[in-house]
Amino acid sequence: MIEARGLAKRYGDLVAVEGIDFSIERGEVVGFLGPNGAGKTTTMRMLTGFLPPTDGTAVIAGHDIFADPIAARRAIGYLPETPPLYPEMTVDSYLAYVARIKDVPRRDRRAAVDRAIARTALGAVRRQVIGTLSKGFRQRVGLAQAIVHNPPVLILDEPTAGLDPLQIREIRALIGELTAPSQGDTQHTVILSTHILAEVDAICQRVILINEGRKALDASLSELRSRGRTLDQIFTEYTTRDAVGVASGARAAAAEGEA
Amino acid sequence: MKHVASVAGRELRSLFVSPVAYGVLSLFAVLAGIFFVLDLAWFEQVLFQYQQYPDQLDDFNLNDGLLREFFSSLSVVFLFLIPGITMGVYAAEKSNGTEELLLTSPLTIWDIVLGKFVAGAIFIAAMVGIVGAFAGVLFFYGDPELGKTLSGLLGLLLLGWTYVAIGGVASAVARSQIVAFLITLVVLVTLLLLPGIAEFGVAGSAPAVADTLRYLSVQLHFDSLLNGLVDSSDLAYYAMMIGSFLAITKAAVESVRWR
Repeated sequence: MIEARGLAKRYGDLVAVEGIDFSIERGEVVGFLGPNGAGKTTTMRMLTGFLPPTDGTAVIAGHDIFADPIAARRAIGYLPETPPLYPEMTVDSYLAYVARIKDVPRRDRRAAVDRAIARTALGAVRRQVIGTLSKGFRQRVGLAQAIVHNPPVLILDEPTAGLDPLQIREIRALIGELTAPSQGDTQHTVILSTHILAEVDAICQRVILINEGRKALDASLSELRSRGRTLDQIFTEYTTRDAVGVASGARAAAAEGEA
Repeated sequence: MKHVASVAGRELRSLFVSPVAYGVLSLFAVLAGIFFVLDLAWFEQVLFQYQQYPDQLDDFNLNDGLLREFFSSLSVVFLFLIPGITMGVYAAEKSNGTEELLLTSPLTIWDIVLGKFVAGAIFIAAMVGIVGAFAGVLFFYGDPELGKTLSGLLGLLLLGWTYVAIGGVASAVARSQIVAFLITLVVLVTLLLLPGIAEFGVAGSAPAVADTLRYLSVQLHFDSLLNGLVDSSDLAYYAMMIGSFLAITKAAVESVRWR
């Protein structure tokens, strides 16, 4: 459903992301893990077509992002780090607009908006102006915007960042529902980025860990659990390994100097 | 085409749910009213003086004595009001984060750029409509030439559209709305000063440059429309200006992807 082939993003000499490969099957929920600045957002932006990769390509629901960018974008629902909202619009008119630009046919638009509002429990505020909503509600409108055209692929960039614990629980439950196979709607394939490990534990089946722009680990959660390691241990191991390597290298050099 | 309408519709709706559109339109109507009354008073005074020279009275009419002045005054009002209308078109998308929504939707950049221009063009048409209402009053009490009046209104419309296209570039390049406003104002004033620069700066030393500057100036093309001359070369000038500024806007919007 989502295939990244050697995705790379370089800014001159600065390498943001290099050689990211992965393949995600229909219905999978994958957690994109990594410390801040590891390249999670950059990778997601390349998948959504916001940033063109310097190298490599991606295939979304069978559409290459270079050969057929419009069809690839149509297949994606994307919630960026800050939900892309027009504060002066009402929830209803905003979602209707998003449905329009995402090519939902006119006759299905009303139903698509109603469905997105129902799934994100926004019924009570649908006629309210977005600027007056609380942060938690805005995040939900952001999610509603991502699912309004019922896309096969959902890309969520830190969907719970900056929310209070109660809101975090709500949003997680919501994402859980969106990916539950029992739903009558399209089963979404989801990538969500986070640096909260508990979140991955709670909703994902698989983890892709990115560190310093490279893929450091790609494994299913059950596999990791069978190894008897907690996510916390793994995260620490993979994201500090280089630092440890540098430190031990320095120690070796110092020892050589003494000898 | 469908997407152009979607983008334009949202843009107009956002203008009209906020007080900005009403504020600008009423301010414009009030200013137009003041200029109309002043120009009318001046017209009457001149008419009174000309009573003593009946032979000159033949050359004095409502079009040249009143409407011409009225339309020119309003072109100066445009200079200050239009940057205020266009400053937000792209800058607000950047600050809302909705840029990411637009660029990851199945829209082409031309859909976005044309949609926003169409919205601005419709708004300007409403302003020119107000001007037309004032001019219309004269037809009840006098007999101005219809053709000349219409060509003057067309001049205002094309001038406004050109200003909108220029304001779009500034808004796409600038990070904040106030910077966009200032850039637009400076560029518009420069365009207005071009004939002066041509006359006093380079006419002696480089006549070819002076001719080019004169051609690029909005004022001369506007003047010929005010005089009732609908010349294809003037229309081509406006088409060229609007087209090139839209192309620059498109490049500026697209450049986000390559940064």
